[in-house]
Amino acid sequence: MQTFPPRVDAFSVRSRVPGAGSRHPGDPDTSSPSRFLLWILRGQWQIVAISVAMGLLWFLPSALSPYLMGRAIDEGVLTHDFGRTAMWASLMFVSIAIGVVGGVAMHTAAVTGWLIALYRTMQLVVRKVSQLGHVMPRRTPTGEVLSVAAGDSDTFGATTEIVGRAIAALGAFVFVAFLVLNESFKLGVLVLVAAPLLVGAASPLLRPLGRAQATERSRLSELTGMATDIVAGLRILRGVGGERTFGDNYAVQSQRVRESGVVAGTWQAGVDSLAVLLSGLLLVALTWLGTLEMLAGRLTIGQLISFFGYAIFMVWPIQTFFEFVQKWVQGLVSAQKTIATLGQLSPWHAPASPVPLPAHATIVDAKSGFVAEPGRLTVVVSALPDDSAALADRLGRYLPSDEEPVSSDVDDDLRGRARRRAKAGKLRERAERARHDEELAAAQWGVTVGGVDLAQVTLEEVRARILVSDTASLVFAGTLQQLIDPHARASREQADEVLRVANAEEIYDSLPGGWQGILDERGRGLSGGQRQRLVLARALLADPEVLILVEPTSAVDAHTEARIAVRLADHRRGRTTILTSVSPLLLHQADDVVLLVDGVAVVHGTHEHLLATSAAYRSVVARGLEADA
Amino acid sequence: MSVDLLQTSAETWQDAGTPESRVPELLTVHDDWPVLRRIPGLWQRHALRRQRADDYYAGSRNPERGLPVAENSAVLAFLKDLLGSRRTVVIWLVVLNAAAGFAGLIVPRVLGQLVDRATTGGDDLAASLNGLALGVAGIVVVQALLTFAARRISAVFGQDLLASAREQIVRTVLKLPLSKVESASTGDLVTRVTRDVSTMSGAVRWALPQLVIAGVMTVLTLVAMFANSLLLGLPTIAALVLLFFVVRRYLARAPMGYITEGGTYSVINTSLTESVEGARTVEALGLQDYRTKLTDADIAVSGQAERYTMSLRNLMFLFMDFAYQGPLVFIVLLGGYGYTRGWVTLGQITAAAIYTQQLVEPMDRLVQTLDRLQVGMASTTRLLGIAAVPQDRVPGEELPEGEGLIAADVRFAYREGHDVLHGIDLTVHPGERLAIVGPSGSGKSTLGRLLAGINGPRTGAVQVGGVNLMELPLDVLRTRVALVTQEHHVFVGSIRDNIVLARETTATDDEVNAALAAVDAGDWVERLPDGMRTLVGSGKQVLTPAQAQQVALARLVIADPHTLVLDEATSLIDPQTARHLEGSMAALLEDRAVVAIAHRLHTAHDADRIAVVIDGRIAELGSHHELIDLDGEYASLWRAWTS
Repeated sequence: MQTFPPRVDAFSVRSRVPGAGSRHPGDPDTSSPSRFLLWILRGQWQIVAISVAMGLLWFLPSALSPYLMGRAIDEGVLTHDFGRTAMWASLMFVSIAIGVVGGVAMHTAAVTGWLIALYRTMQLVVRKVSQLGHVMPRRTPTGEVLSVAAGDSDTFGATTEIVGRAIAALGAFVFVAFLVLNESFKLGVLVLVAAPLLVGAASPLLRPLGRAQATERSRLSELTGMATDIVAGLRILRGVGGERTFGDNYAVQSQRVRESGVVAGTWQAGVDSLAVLLSGLLLVALTWLGTLEMLAGRLTIGQLISFFGYAIFMVWPIQTFFEFVQKWVQGLVSAQKTIATLGQLSPWHAPASPVPLPAHATIVDAKSGFVAEPGRLTVVVSALPDDSAALADRLGRYLPSDEEPVSSDVDDDLRGRARRRAKAGKLRERAERARHDEELAAAQWGVTVGGVDLAQVTLEEVRARILVSDTASLVFAGTLQQLIDPHARASREQADEVLRVANAEEIYDSLPGGWQGILDERGRGLSGGQRQRLVLARALLADPEVLILVEPTSAVDAHTEARIAVRLADHRRGRTTILTSVSPLLLHQADDVVLLVDGVAVVHGTHEHLLATSAAYRSVVARGLEADA
Repeated sequence: MSVDLLQTSAETWQDAGTPESRVPELLTVHDDWPVLRRIPGLWQRHALRRQRADDYYAGSRNPERGLPVAENSAVLAFLKDLLGSRRTVVIWLVVLNAAAGFAGLIVPRVLGQLVDRATTGGDDLAASLNGLALGVAGIVVVQALLTFAARRISAVFGQDLLASAREQIVRTVLKLPLSKVESASTGDLVTRVTRDVSTMSGAVRWALPQLVIAGVMTVLTLVAMFANSLLLGLPTIAALVLLFFVVRRYLARAPMGYITEGGTYSVINTSLTESVEGARTVEALGLQDYRTKLTDADIAVSGQAERYTMSLRNLMFLFMDFAYQGPLVFIVLLGGYGYTRGWVTLGQITAAAIYTQQLVEPMDRLVQTLDRLQVGMASTTRLLGIAAVPQDRVPGEELPEGEGLIAADVRFAYREGHDVLHGIDLTVHPGERLAIVGPSGSGKSTLGRLLAGINGPRTGAVQVGGVNLMELPLDVLRTRVALVTQEHHVFVGSIRDNIVLARETTATDDEVNAALAAVDAGDWVERLPDGMRTLVGSGKQVLTPAQAQQVALARLVIADPHTLVLDEATSLIDPQTARHLEGSMAALLEDRAVVAIAHRLHTAHDADRIAVVIDGRIAELGSHHELIDLDGEYASLWRAWTS
């Protein structure tokens, strides 16, 4: 039997085979929201089936109780035959006992189904993110990806749960209808016709309710954002001031959330009271008709009492159908958001005839004219750090990182057609971005290593042999050892050595537990300089053939930078290393220095040579030194 | 720095550093095993899961790091306080719910009477039936209207209570002592203001009103049941006793289970967030498999927590469902016997049967609300714990006379017995530029924090104008000495909001404009759609890092302190902007003393005096030329820089 957590095999990291647009067998169907929901249900059909069976076992005894009670009254109580009463009562007890066991089994199956859907969605998100890598933040804002994992996944759990329960409720409904039709045709027809009408009657309220809840949610998430914002800037608020302004801003938004919450609550009250009204009226109608039938001699008293029981019981399946409609709609909304993330395709195709990346070869970037000789330490200097970062991206075969992702959020005030048009516009924009990425990925890349263009090499090989450590490199939570050596490939001596090269010994010392010391998420609690040195140590330990470091020491002090510069040059001696920096302390250690002006390599040579010969170079590097020179 | 800093390396390095399963083998569920084979270890596994939940809960109540957690009694006092100011609404809440519940109870009674009249064979039944049915239908309509009013006032009440609660909590956060804010990692606080507030919301907005609704319904239904027939009420009493013990046992365990469960989801979200935000890092280092396995492992742990609470619920449901449905059997038995003896009528049996079924829903809701309330209470204790942080300064009456900042024999330790500053004496003269340089870990940032009055020294004193910094009220301190860090956080709000901070109640628009002009931000701010009223921050108008830095600087212009402590203030902007900003700062900071904790040597070079801090002591102190002549640490670094 399936259980949770599920095993997920989807979104393989390997490059797509050229020409193949087809899905991997484990990949979800992202062609439409309803197909995605059906895909989830198909993947756990066994659990859904068990939920239905156990749900019937749970529902039916409750449906049977009124019948058994009616019999007990007609045959036992009214005839003063206590033996018959006891007989029917014990049948009732057995039926209830079955229902109780069915209830527990149903609950187990429902939780299992819910969690499989929930966990599977989370696992799909992490796999999709892994598959897309740096392409992900170009396409979809981080918040949208995370809300799929944190919010929509739970909605899918609720959707799968209600599907099983609703089918069981339908079964119970049919069963009671059968009982009722058997006892009285008229009353049976009433139940069968009235119940679906009752479900339909409430649906006009569901739409405004959903809208009100959506407004409340979006205001609430803004409020949560404000609280996070206050905490993130708390040092400033407590250090410089402003507690009142931002406390008041929070309070204002909190009141807006309250208002929208009351609106949503009012619609919910409407839905709830409508359910009370309709099921109550059904009870009255049944009683009225039933009494008429009884007076006409077509119904016994016991049967009439049974009907009260049926009428109360019928509230269950009816409410379950209500819930089903609501949750299925919510499921579709979530599915829409989810496929916007999971449906993104990796732009990378494996080259038709892959060429191995030449080892120990000259690297040339056609766009800037930048050249790096193998085995040397080359430092890129640019007045604009963005230019050097763009060069590093090209050298490592990363799509440009200067574009903002396309948000799928549209203005809350838009309604109806305008809203749909805005949504469609966003989708088109995102599709356009994806097409553009594919083009970039498929064309000649413009960076050659030993004459081989990077586009001719598989991406896996490029990543394995050229490592770009950019300024946004993240310090992950976990132990220090896991951070520095995530692949568990290095020896302790190697790890000690890179800590020393990155001058990060004092960070080791300040962590209780040494290598097993725990770092908070994103390295929170460390200073910018400390994070930067850990990132550097990690990149060094990966020990790639070509190491590209973007501004590796921009946040550390001069003393430390001086130490790192010497140790780094020594550690990487004989291996190709490219870094971007404007600090003389690093430039001193460079074998070659390349100056970029407007993104183009204009001069190169040693630091001393360029200081002596290039005024442009001096103006970038030698700040504040002229006075003393 | 010596290699012996890594002296524990050999002891703490572990040969397998990959994320291994955090679920003990005993708990691993083999979904390939047949169900029957999984049953034997069921109880053992349940006990182990309970142990894990209890351990997690105990840990969450006594955090090793981070902020304290309040007592349960504090929550009750907090709630009492909130409810006290809403007496009218509470009364309406109870009255309307009672009325709606009462209306719902009339219907079964009428039906019972109808049955009695049918059995006794009164001829008038047929004649009055239509009227009776219409009457009951009228009651149903009234019941629906009352239900609407009751539910609506529940929503008003719950939302109002919640809004006050969260606003109070954010105001508490905004009162946290400065030293705590500066030292604590923000992670704990972020969790509290997001996850705990949201858990508390569930309890306050939903569970509390539901508790009233379900409580009122339960009591009324019981009363109606006994008014109908004392004898037929007995089975329900027996069921309630059973229910009491079952639910009590469940509630004793459930909160630990749910809190553990909630904790596992936040672990999943934290590592997933890192994987998404660090997608490029993951790709660059080839960590795709590692991150995927990490999330799978987080999910496995979460699955265990879910299994525990599922079993707890299953154990409860087993008895609870009997308690709900069982009475019906005994009503038939007792009713059958009593009818024969003439103790009860058939109508009473009918009404009792309907009441027992009507009781199920509110009882069920009562149980659900109780466990939500418990979980909400645990979150609220964490929120109220924020208020339990002791204040770090005792503001006195005395106001500083003069601008001189003097540190005398200052020592400081973050951990007891580990001084990071060893008796520092330093005077910052009014208007001078003092640069502090030194290797990381030397204590230069700590010195900066002491000079800015963030922390108080362990021994010795830091005084401005003859008054200890720690004895100045915060709003006075801010206008005398300010610490500027490299964090240039932009708050969600208008640009003006982001700038007036230190003088939020007194700064005028003209002053804001002047401050913006002073930091060369006048032009781009003017070009924004709404000028200084343009909304910025996360999700709004995006500022470049340089613009954010300018906003941070403009804050200080408004604060107008006579001494500034700058920590790496310009290190994260590109050289051209830095030069640009330095230019405007130079003009701007005239007549102010500046203590710069410098990373870049040109900052030191421009200063009047330079203090070189090494191992918590001032090793060198003097002007650039004096230190070059001294030919010590600073001089050698300067040579490396310039040669």
